[in-house]
Amino acid sequence: MTQAGYPLLATLQWLPLAGGLLLLVMREDDLALILGRLFAIAELVIAIDLHARIDVSGSALQFAERFDLLAYHAAVDGISVLFILLTALLGVLLSFYGMARQQISPVQLLSVLLIIESVQMTMLTTMNLLWFAAASAVQLALVGYLLWRWASSSAENLALSRFLQYQFFGWGLFVAGAVVLVWSHVDVPGGRWSFDLFDLLQTPQIGKYQSVAFYLLFYGLAIRTPLFPLHGWLPNSAGYGLIAVGPVLLLGVKVGIYGMARFLLPLTAEAVMIWQPYVVAFAMVGVFFAAILAFRQINLRRLMAFAVVSHTSLIIIGLFTLHPAGLQGALLLAVNFGLAVTLMLLMIGYVYRRTGTTELARLGGLFDRIPFITIAFLVGGLAILGMPGTPGFDAVHLVLEASIETFGALPTIATALGNVAAAGFLLWAFQRAFLAPRPRDLPAARIARTSRMEYFVAGAALLVLLAAGFYPEPWLRLTDSATAALADYFVRHD
Amino acid sequence: MTEIAHWPLLSTLLALPLLGALACALLRRAPLAQHIALGSGLLTLLCSLLIVCAFDRTDPHFQMLESADWIADLGIRYLVGVDGLSLLFLPATALLFVGAVVAGWRVTAAAAPLSPGLYFAMLLLLEAATLGVFCALDTILFFFCWEFTLPPLYLLVSLWGLGASRQSAAVRYFLVMLAGGVPLLFGFLALAFAHADGAAPVFALPTLLATPLPEATQYLVFLLLLLGLGAKVPLVPLHTWLPPMAISAPIAVTALLAGLKLGAYGLIRLAIPLAPLAARDLHWLLAGFGTVAILYGGVAALVHSNLRGMLAYSSLAHVGLVLLGLSSFSVYGLQGVVLQLLNFSLAGGGAFLVLSFLRRRTGSTDIAQLGGVLRSMPRLSAFFLLFGLAGIGLPGTSGFPGELLIIVAALHDHTGAGLAALFGMVLAAAAFLSPFRQAFFGPPANPEVAAAADLLPRETALLLVPATLVLGVGLYPMPILELLRPAAEAWVAALAGL
Repeated sequence: MTQAGYPLLATLQWLPLAGGLLLLVMREDDLALILGRLFAIAELVIAIDLHARIDVSGSALQFAERFDLLAYHAAVDGISVLFILLTALLGVLLSFYGMARQQISPVQLLSVLLIIESVQMTMLTTMNLLWFAAASAVQLALVGYLLWRWASSSAENLALSRFLQYQFFGWGLFVAGAVVLVWSHVDVPGGRWSFDLFDLLQTPQIGKYQSVAFYLLFYGLAIRTPLFPLHGWLPNSAGYGLIAVGPVLLLGVKVGIYGMARFLLPLTAEAVMIWQPYVVAFAMVGVFFAAILAFRQINLRRLMAFAVVSHTSLIIIGLFTLHPAGLQGALLLAVNFGLAVTLMLLMIGYVYRRTGTTELARLGGLFDRIPFITIAFLVGGLAILGMPGTPGFDAVHLVLEASIETFGALPTIATALGNVAAAGFLLWAFQRAFLAPRPRDLPAARIARTSRMEYFVAGAALLVLLAAGFYPEPWLRLTDSATAALADYFVRHD
Repeated sequence: MTEIAHWPLLSTLLALPLLGALACALLRRAPLAQHIALGSGLLTLLCSLLIVCAFDRTDPHFQMLESADWIADLGIRYLVGVDGLSLLFLPATALLFVGAVVAGWRVTAAAAPLSPGLYFAMLLLLEAATLGVFCALDTILFFFCWEFTLPPLYLLVSLWGLGASRQSAAVRYFLVMLAGGVPLLFGFLALAFAHADGAAPVFALPTLLATPLPEATQYLVFLLLLLGLGAKVPLVPLHTWLPPMAISAPIAVTALLAGLKLGAYGLIRLAIPLAPLAARDLHWLLAGFGTVAILYGGVAALVHSNLRGMLAYSSLAHVGLVLLGLSSFSVYGLQGVVLQLLNFSLAGGGAFLVLSFLRRRTGSTDIAQLGGVLRSMPRLSAFFLLFGLAGIGLPGTSGFPGELLIIVAALHDHTGAGLAALFGMVLAAAAFLSPFRQAFFGPPANPEVAAAADLLPRETALLLVPATLVLGVGLYPMPILELLRPAAEAWVAALAGL
């Protein structure tokens, strides 16, 4: 098992936490902001170091760290590293984006961001179901705090309570599922009370409770993801709340998808194969349902929310092909969507800072004032469509390839056309917001030119997106053996 | 020539416009951008001519192959090369893009408060993607370039287009092409898996061509590819994007759309040779689509009130002729088809460029708004007449040999369709000559027309190149026909050998 010279995974989790706590006690000044950004950058450097050290030739989980007293067990494979890199990158982008001058108490915001990043790292490295659940609860609570403290409008109460109701209900389902699963493992000879992934995989599974556990865990994660028809919290929270920071935290890193790949699929493999057709049927409906609803939106932010629901369904289809290419495609798609959606949300945030609105009818004529932001938004949209030159292309390609083999050509073609519908609403929104004639109450002078910081944030995200799109080899190699190992769970049971 | 042949000319060809695009995008406010755009356009043209010189005319196989791993895990390679059929499209494309750059000269700056550098950057990106389509020998690389033409086109039309409906036209085009991309990609995947035999999927065109497909799969692949490519060709029920695009796109961009028939090229390169049995069996389908397009395009062009719309519909009729020629699967039919496609680049592209100069002077290409153009702009009118006559296939122009070969092939293999095509040619002549008379002769209806100045020297110089080629090829087409022969014979032999 590969080991670094220092406890890499623990550092990944503790560094942002330390940074966040330090910032919490500091005054609101520029020094604190710079310090916070340095912490975010240091975290990215550690994540890159992890990527450089990991050995992806085998599927083994590496860099294991254990502390038995608290059942702490962390390890990573190619899949986790992919998500860790994304989390760290988004952390840097947000630390530069979020702290505009007009923001209320930016240092506190940065501190909460860093703490959330730390908790997210825990979710991505832990091997223990309970740790995952606990970190998830802390993360949700912190995001809820963010939505409440830095609300952009006074109508946020409904959104907040809806968000908390949905999320904690989903969290409850997940914990219940974990308990049922462990319970079923205790019954068999040699089983014991342990929420550790390794222990659970070692004891043979019994079929009796598996479907129950599968459904509880699946719905728990699906609400987070969010998957149609469990997405009710998203449009509201995206429509109010912080313009970009909150949604990015919830949607940028798809921990729901990660949880499915890490825990749900291997632990309840038999039940997954039984319920696969139903899940996929729901997801296919979801692609279209959300696309249709997105067409009816008049607010850019709510529209983005439905776009996310539509695309999440595509990821789920890829995941539930249970085919190595499909699994790989789905995970890459999750990361691609995360990055692309982040880019688009940040650009919407920049637009909001200038116009004070995200209503499509009150936007327009932005291109000639802020062309770089416009292009960045468009490239993000194209990445979501799976346009060649973005990572979406390779990922969608893999998902469709696997989907043809598993479900046949017709459902796959239908899904691909659903993706074209998604193209329709994104382009439509793009034209309304950026290219249409400028409304009279929005004088050109009010739209400030792109600032240096904005160039940096948008340019960095664009660079990563395009580089990953034109040269996808490293990411494919990173996840190759891990997804192949994951797919093996479903071959053996045939 | 051997020294030249060792240099990776094709990659250079693809890289030049990309570099130019990057430079233009960075210099977007400086007037320098248009010079850089013209410079990189001319360098690309030079490079494409070098490729023509270095090309071995007797060899029917793919030449100047360049290959590199791209996405090794999936077996996708960067594989480019040319053969006799695709070779001449490279200089034609490069020439047309030089024209488009000159047509956008100093116009973009005045037309919109947008940076002209971005306009040229998009144009050059489009050029790189188009050249990529002609060079790609890996199906996924082909698809990549094919789809990559969309974003620049979308931006060019929705930002620099004409009229209020340009944005809906751009979105419609984008969506139709994206929807067409779905069957295309599925066709490529079906091909890749049918050849795989349990091993890694195959995307390399030479390998795909070397191993025949099972017959049932051929029908699937052929129909999927026909549907996917058909959206771009456009086949008649899928052509609804064309009229709004012809009216709304910047005219230079319309020249590119009408002059570069990527869809028809895709049929020659991919759909027919990859599924030969199905293609031979479904020859009536191609001929039928062709005949419908010839007649429909001719009639629609006849009644159109705008010169741009008229040219767009005549280009639809031209593509119909190409399909008809393809469906005969004979050497001279194929030679005629490629010649006809090259003729579009010169004559169709040239005619649209003339219209863009005309519109810049008069503000309209509506026939009712014109009249008397000949009196104030004799040189412009002469060029338009020449390109128009080449479009209807007058002897002595480059349109004639191609059209003749196609009609002969069609009369031989699909007599009814050939007769319909002859009738279609009469329609096409009427569709061009009658609006030409109304718009260019007679008293000026519009004071702007009377006051307009004739072509500037740089515009004349630009148009002289395709005009010379139109006449040259029309009078002595043998070099091109000979160049096409080896590849065309190999193409037909592969079809007949089954």
